[in-house]
Amino acid sequence: MRQGRRHKPKNLLMILMLSPYLLLLFFFGILPLIMAMFNVPSKSPSNPNGGWGVIKIVFKDFRLLPAAEHVLGFMALFVPLMVIFVVAMSLMLDMNTAPWKKYVRLAYIVPACISGSVAVLLWYVLLEPTLSPFKGIMHWLGITQATQIWKTSNLTFILVFMAFFSLAGQWILIQFGSLQSISTEILEAARVDGCNQFQLATKIKLPLIRKYVIYMGVLVFAGGLQIFVEPQLLNSSVYHGIAQQWSFDQLSYSLAFDNGNFGEASALSLMLLIPSLIGALLVIYKTDMFEDVTLKSPKKMRKEALKREAAKA
Amino acid sequence: MSIDFKETTPETSETPRKKKRKFRVGHYAINSWLIFWALVSVIPMLWLVLAPSKTDREVSYKNPLSFASFHGYVRAWKNLQDFNSGVLARWVLNSITYNLAIVLIASVTASLAGFVISASRIRFKKAFLISTLIMMLVPPVALVIPLFIEMNKANLIDNPMSVVLISSLYPFGAFLAYIYYSSTIPPELYESARLDGCSDFRLYTKIAFPLSYPLLALLAFFAFVGNWGNYFMPYIMLQSPTNYTLPVGLGALFFSTPAINPGNGATSVPILKPEIALAGILVAVPVMIVFLISQKRLIRGMLAGSIKE
Repeated sequence: MRQGRRHKPKNLLMILMLSPYLLLLFFFGILPLIMAMFNVPSKSPSNPNGGWGVIKIVFKDFRLLPAAEHVLGFMALFVPLMVIFVVAMSLMLDMNTAPWKKYVRLAYIVPACISGSVAVLLWYVLLEPTLSPFKGIMHWLGITQATQIWKTSNLTFILVFMAFFSLAGQWILIQFGSLQSISTEILEAARVDGCNQFQLATKIKLPLIRKYVIYMGVLVFAGGLQIFVEPQLLNSSVYHGIAQQWSFDQLSYSLAFDNGNFGEASALSLMLLIPSLIGALLVIYKTDMFEDVTLKSPKKMRKEALKREAAKA
Repeated sequence: MSIDFKETTPETSETPRKKKRKFRVGHYAINSWLIFWALVSVIPMLWLVLAPSKTDREVSYKNPLSFASFHGYVRAWKNLQDFNSGVLARWVLNSITYNLAIVLIASVTASLAGFVISASRIRFKKAFLISTLIMMLVPPVALVIPLFIEMNKANLIDNPMSVVLISSLYPFGAFLAYIYYSSTIPPELYESARLDGCSDFRLYTKIAFPLSYPLLALLAFFAFVGNWGNYFMPYIMLQSPTNYTLPVGLGALFFSTPAINPGNGATSVPILKPEIALAGILVAVPVMIVFLISQKRLIRGMLAGSIKE
């Protein structure tokens, strides 16, 4: 009883120390979601009587299907390309530890600082046949006019290149870091057993970094689904009309700020949040990425320990 | 081309010299590819750095990777300074002040949260950790419209406080701090300090904080890198050009000057490709410098402590 009384003020101090973060988490993580949920059924020009029927209206919006086609096309190229390329490059980097490779790793990180508006500027230059540092290759391929490249039908590929170029380098380094965590004894044992470099990479290293690859896949998927800045800037500043409401987020932005329809915009935002939430929960519960974070309850952990002991016995 | 790295396969009929040659060819091919990709990674940044040394005409007609003169940088900088009565300096100042505030608030709150979760026995620890992990994995763009509605209700639209407060929520930092405190400070240390009469706050200030300088550096690094180039949130929340950050300002230069789109019409001050490239350097180079200095920490941090030492 006395102990309980003594613990109370201590916990109170701990909660006070936690409160700045908790307040931020509540006001800018949880409350916006609650407000968006309340906002969905509010009256709007397209939903004059209010109510959750707005979700049907969003589904019937003629711009939703093209946006879905664009984004799904983008994801179908971007996610596998990222995962395969990054894994292959990190395995190649890990094959031997030549001293010059640290400079190569430094070079890979450079595109990571080219994102958002700077990425749009650079890709405009890279794909402009009169400005590009690669204009020799472009002219050789018969590309002499910007209009040969900058058209809506090519936009998926252009945006895949932009996103891939910005993100691949830093993920290569992260996966290279995960490969460094593999114990040298395991690799040595595999070598003694006659594994060649290719077998070592595919049969030993790859299965051991599987959880990091899944982690990357989920983050790349969730991020790709929310593509906004690049098509928006291309559309509004570089080539007007080239990417009008091209992505889901652009459509949501247009609903909110061009049409003043925050009900539909909130409904679309919440709908887009669902795949991201599912991805997050999959990483937390279906991979062992965060198993050390004691997400399992002490009871469950005790039960598992007892089971293990019983199995041993 | 198929690459075979067989070194010690006893059943093969190839001679050791042949095998060694095959192995070498494979290695050369892989190393050449790694170097090629490194060059491809660096060339766009090189163009960005070299472009302001030229005039607008030279940018189009000279070798894209050539250097013209240092005077070019001075001229581009002067033109940028004269644009809209020196609004660029304001954007630079805004970016620095907003980011300083974000880095400070985010690092302190995340460090405190990580410490409390690792050192205390408070309730709802698991719920707190799961909500932090979810927030960490959900892209911030997903919440922009709901956040706009909230900020609008709080009358904070076009107020830098909206960007600073929203960006200060740092679930990744809280998680990183939790991992750091759990793995580097043994719980026995807290217990013995408690027995000596240390309060929880003193536990943090006298034990955890002095041992966490590397963590604080890592938290500040990630907070800076994540926010310096952020475009979407300030673009939605800030409406007056005097409140813009550098990335939003760069976007504004795109659609208010003929630098990229000649259809925009001429401006009173010549803002052309060299000027835009110089503004791009101001956005990209600080992040690049921080990245290059802290490459190893970035890797360890992104995997949030799951890499063994």
